[in-house]
Amino acid sequence: MQNRPSGFGNPWLQLGLSVACVLVSEFLLKRGATDIAAPDSAFSWTGVNGLASPLVWWAILLIIASFISWLYVLRYIPLTIAFPLSRVVDILVPLGCWIFLGESISALRWCGIALVIIGLALVAKPIAQIEERL
Amino acid sequence: MSILALFFIVVSLLSFVAAQLILKRAMEISTTRGLGNSQFVSLAAIGTALMTVSFFLTLGLLQRFDLSYLYPFQGLSVIFVALMAAVVLKEKLSLRLAIGALLISAGIVLVSMS
Repeated sequence: MQNRPSGFGNPWLQLGLSVACVLVSEFLLKRGATDIAAPDSAFSWTGVNGLASPLVWWAILLIIASFISWLYVLRYIPLTIAFPLSRVVDILVPLGCWIFLGESISALRWCGIALVIIGLALVAKPIAQIEERL
Repeated sequence: MSILALFFIVVSLLSFVAAQLILKRAMEISTTRGLGNSQFVSLAAIGTALMTVSFFLTLGLLQRFDLSYLYPFQGLSVIFVALMAAVVLKEKLSLRLAIGALLISAGIVLVSMS
């Protein structure tokens, strides 16, 4: 890993921003896709009919934003580290539903969340040590 | 119907994984040869196109299935991307990173099953 910019250009901050944009876009996409669902039409397999929903357009804006910060992240962080870390979004979605929407989380789902957190810790720990040394 | 669904799920997953590898390669080229380099531009264009294909196929799938059904496949992408990055891009994949990626994948599958 080479010299990294600090402040807003810090790739770890950009990774966080990218994840936050993806998180919000997932909710918007599911809502948008459900609103305009047309499962009887073969054309809708392409998903292009989803563009009829304004929510989908908001999601696309966020996805483009997350995509730009993701490209920036890729300049500095290896894919084997950056990509697993980016999947923190997969536990933030159910945790978000639990905290903000009051949905319950089953025991099995808690186990899954725990596994992801352990996995993230395994991936993140060597980096924390590298960063400390710099 | 279910074979068709599986087909679209697999195509969406494959194009997503390929896009990640191609974009990573593109950004590596950009650090040494700049953003005007023709190889960077073409790789970035291919990667973006593949991401777009994957995006619309996912949107089509979301109209038919719950997120909870589609999520395990997104979870698998962690293992695929980590493995392919090691094989194709020659990135270092330590045992620790591999186990981490595996746990994250397994965790995502569990989260979506319940």
